[in-house]
Amino acid sequence: MLEIRNAVKRFNVGQPDEKTALDGLALRLAAGEFGIVIGSNGAGKSSMFNAVSGALRLDSGQVLIAGDDVTAEPVHRRATRVARVFQDPMRGTAASMTIAENMLLADLRGQRRGLGRGLTAARRRLYGERLSVLGLGLENRLDSRVDLLSGGQRQAVSLIMAVSSQPALLLLDEHTAALDPRTADLVMAATVQAVQAFNLTTLMVTHNMQHAIDHGDRVIMMDAGKVRTEIAGDARRQLTVPALVELFAVKTDAMLLSVH
Amino acid sequence: MSHDLAGIFSGFIGLVPITLAQSLILSFVALAIMVPFRLLNFQDLTSEGAFPLGGAVCAVALAGGLNPWLALLLGAAAGFVAGCCTAAIHLRFKIHSLLAGILVTTMLYSIDLRIMGRPNLSVFGAPSVYDALPAISDPSGAKIAVAGGCVVIVLVLLELFLKTELGTAMRAVGANPDMAEAQGIAVARATLVGVGAAAAFAALAGALMVQSQGFADVNMGLGVLINGLASLMIGEALVGRRSVTRQLLAPVVGSIAYYQLVSLCLAAGMPPPDLKLATGVFVMLMLALPALRRGSARAAA
Repeated sequence: MLEIRNAVKRFNVGQPDEKTALDGLALRLAAGEFGIVIGSNGAGKSSMFNAVSGALRLDSGQVLIAGDDVTAEPVHRRATRVARVFQDPMRGTAASMTIAENMLLADLRGQRRGLGRGLTAARRRLYGERLSVLGLGLENRLDSRVDLLSGGQRQAVSLIMAVSSQPALLLLDEHTAALDPRTADLVMAATVQAVQAFNLTTLMVTHNMQHAIDHGDRVIMMDAGKVRTEIAGDARRQLTVPALVELFAVKTDAMLLSVH
Repeated sequence: MSHDLAGIFSGFIGLVPITLAQSLILSFVALAIMVPFRLLNFQDLTSEGAFPLGGAVCAVALAGGLNPWLALLLGAAAGFVAGCCTAAIHLRFKIHSLLAGILVTTMLYSIDLRIMGRPNLSVFGAPSVYDALPAISDPSGAKIAVAGGCVVIVLVLLELFLKTELGTAMRAVGANPDMAEAQGIAVARATLVGVGAAAAFAALAGALMVQSQGFADVNMGLGVLINGLASLMIGEALVGRRSVTRQLLAPVVGSIAYYQLVSLCLAAGMPPPDLKLATGVFVMLMLALPALRRGSARAAA
C-alpha cells in the first residue's frame, strides 16, 4: 500500500526560475491496486516517483509504504520495499555484469548481503526459471554480459529483477516507452502477468493512452504537481481513448499521436 | 655488435631475479590502482601517498622491535585509513576524486615525516618477512617466494570475495551506481571500504619494499603511480579483462612484464634519468590508442 500526504517540493526557491514540482500532492493506493499515472510533461509525475523511491527529498509532506513512514529514508533503505523500472533500459541493469549476477543483485534487494557464495547452483536454477517466463530464451544465457542484450531484452530482465523479489510497491516509469512496439507489448504483457501473479501494488507512468485504458484499476491524471482527476470503477471501464484525451486541456495533439 | 648484444643480454638476465622480486612487491600498487578504477569506477591517485605511508609506518614499527608480519599489517592498515580519507573527501564534499587523492597524498608527506621523525629511516639488520624461508639461501629467491606468496594469497582472497553476495554488490557499485543504490546497496559505504582496501594494498607494497631494501624514505613513492598504471595497462593488454579472474591477474602479470621491460631498456643503455619520461610517453600512448584508432578509421572511411 502507498500513501502520499500533502507532498510539496519546490526547486530553485527564491530565484526567478523557481518551480513547484509537487504542490500538495495526495494519493492513496490500496494493497494490490494497479494505478496508471498520466499527465503532460512537467505535471510532476517524475517528481512523484522520485519522492516515492527516495531519490527526491520532500520540502514537506509524507510518504508511507505498507503503513510505514519512509519520508526520511534514503534510496538504498527504501529499496527493501520499493522496486523501480526506468524508461532507459541502461539504468536498471549493470551492463558489465552477467544476467545471473544482475538477478542476484535484485534477488538480495533490501536483504543483508553476507560473505556466502553469491551464485549458488540453486540460485542459478531459480533465476533461470524466473527468466523463462519471458519466453526470450534468456534462461540459457545466464552467463552473458547484459551489454550483449538488446534494449528490449535488457528491459525484460529489469522487469523480472524488479518483480521477482515481490516488492511492497512496484514503480514503472514509462518502462515500455523506449522500446519498439512488439517488444513493448511483450514487456507490457509480462508486466501484467507478474503484477497479477504476485498481486503487486503498482504505480505506472505512461504516455500511451491505450495502455492506460487496457491495464490497471485506476487512472490517475496529474497536473501542476497534484492529482487532477482519478477515474475508477464503472467510469474507468467505460473509458475510451478520445474521452481520456478530452481530459487533457493541453498538449492534446501529442497525446493523440502517442496512441499508436 | 653481436658481442654488445650478448653483453646486454647477460646483463639483463643477471637482473631477472631481483627485478622479479621488485615487480611482485610493486604489483600491489598496480592492484591498488586497478581496484578503484576498474571495480568501483572511482578515479583514484591515493596509491602515490599510501605507498610511502605504508613504508614509513612499517619502518617505525620495525625500529620499535615489532614482528615484521605485524609491521606489514600495520602499514596496510594505515593505508586503509588514507584511502578512506580520499573517499570521504570525495563523498562528503563533492571534491573530484583525483583532486581528493592529490590532497591526501600531499598531506601524507607531512604525516610520513612526523611518523618517522626524519626524511629516511634505516631498518637494516632488523628481522624481515623475507627471513621466513631460511631454506632459500639466495636473498632474491626468498623475496620472490615471500612476495609471490603474498600476491597469491591476496588474489585468491579477492577472487573469492568478489564472488560472494557482498563482492557482487561491490562490483555493481562500479558498474552502475544508480542501479546499485536502487537494489539497496549502500553505495557510499561500499566506495569508502573499496577505496580504503585499494590504498591498503599500495601501503602493503610500501611496507614490503621497506623490508626488502632495508630503509624507508619519504620520497619513495615518487612515480609509483605512473609505473603502476603502465603495469596495469600492459597486464590488461596481455590477459584482458573479460572476467573477474583476468581482471585480477592483469595488474600482477603487467607488473612482472613492465619491470622486466624497464630492466631490459636499462641494460640496453637507456640512461636511468630518462625512465620517467619514457614511462609517461608510454602511458600516454596507451591511453591515446582508442582515439588514434578512431582517427585512422575515420581517415580510411
